[in-house]
Amino acid sequence: MARITAGVGSSHVPLLGVAHDLGKDRDAYFGPIFAGYDWTRKWEKAEKPDVVLLVYNDHASAFDMKIIPTFAIGCAERFKPADEGWGPRKVPDVIGHPDLAWHIAQSLILDEFDMTIINEMDVDHGLTVPLSMMFGAVEQWPCKVIPLAVNVVTYPPPSGNRCWALGEAIARAVASFPEDLNVQIWGTGGMSHQLQGPRAGLINREWDNMFLDGLVGDTDRLRHIPHIEYLRETGSEGIEMVMWLIMRGALGKTTRALHRHYHVPCSNTAIGHIVLEPAD
Amino acid sequence: MNQPRDIHQYLAEFEDIPGTRVFTAKRARQGYHLNQFAMSLMKPENRERWKADEKAYLEEWPLTDDQKTAVLARDYNRLLDLGGNIYFLSKVFSTDGLSFVQAVSTMTGVSVEEYQAMMNAGGRSPEGLRSKKEGR
Repeated sequence: MARITAGVGSSHVPLLGVAHDLGKDRDAYFGPIFAGYDWTRKWEKAEKPDVVLLVYNDHASAFDMKIIPTFAIGCAERFKPADEGWGPRKVPDVIGHPDLAWHIAQSLILDEFDMTIINEMDVDHGLTVPLSMMFGAVEQWPCKVIPLAVNVVTYPPPSGNRCWALGEAIARAVASFPEDLNVQIWGTGGMSHQLQGPRAGLINREWDNMFLDGLVGDTDRLRHIPHIEYLRETGSEGIEMVMWLIMRGALGKTTRALHRHYHVPCSNTAIGHIVLEPAD
Repeated sequence: MNQPRDIHQYLAEFEDIPGTRVFTAKRARQGYHLNQFAMSLMKPENRERWKADEKAYLEEWPLTDDQKTAVLARDYNRLLDLGGNIYFLSKVFSTDGLSFVQAVSTMTGVSVEEYQAMMNAGGRSPEGLRSKKEGR
């Protein structure tokens, strides 16, 4: 049977992709950020996941204002890096797992999560930056990836509670897939940042660390945080953190933290990263 | 269920956050063509035509005069007021060769150097910027 063995949370700031691609990842500015991922890269090599279910948001790349799916799952064989306005990142194509993706999509719909199914899509920095952070510079990504895109741009995005419940439903769906697969789930985006208006540049170190604390153990208090609290406390783009709750929800009642990293700043953003395993 | 079920209350709270325009349905509708115009700059051939003659390129899109003026002036705060969303507008400043930090700093009333220094010192504190009403 397939099983979810771990959860990873990480920011997906586009500048990290630039730093990585230009070989600046160990300079004075980026070195402390990337150093926090060294542990994870080593751990991933040992863990060898077969599939990563990667929760992220599209930044006006694959989806424009024509169609705004709240939850969309990528069921294609392959996803190309998107041209976000400066040419596509020179990173490997992302190879999907259509059998598992379709199984999850069908199971979720029966479980009353009405997913949008995507058969063709390019993937932007929201998805490829976390892959670079966790796997480094590689010829091919070492596992299959199922993209799960969440609307966190046009309000209202899904509630934290709904995201957590989706994670729980994903765990049930994965557990009913007959093939023996090591599956990880990653939640990406955040942490505190605001990219617009006179309040831009907002960072809330205390709140971000409260959020990281809340991912660990048997508490489910994070699922009850309303949108307005993310907006007030973590900036307008901090709302991306609801996506981490899909990851957390999929890990069961109790988690254990294996690794944790926090750094300010990267561009306009607070970098947060955590590795969790189910502890039930 | 942990959100207010009353959509009016839910939306009203957004107006209480200082210096922030939440991308509500109202703004998304107002800025639909503005954001779709910005999106068109993801294609290299469109970027070339845009760079060659910005005004002529804008004429192809049903934007309001206010929106066109603000685009040409790269007045990002004004564009947010007119329904622009920063992820879409990023296609405009990326085409200009600006980074997020450079473009975002233009909305804050300080120079890019001052903005960068603020970020390097830990960013803008939320203290006093959470709520207009409550002044916290």
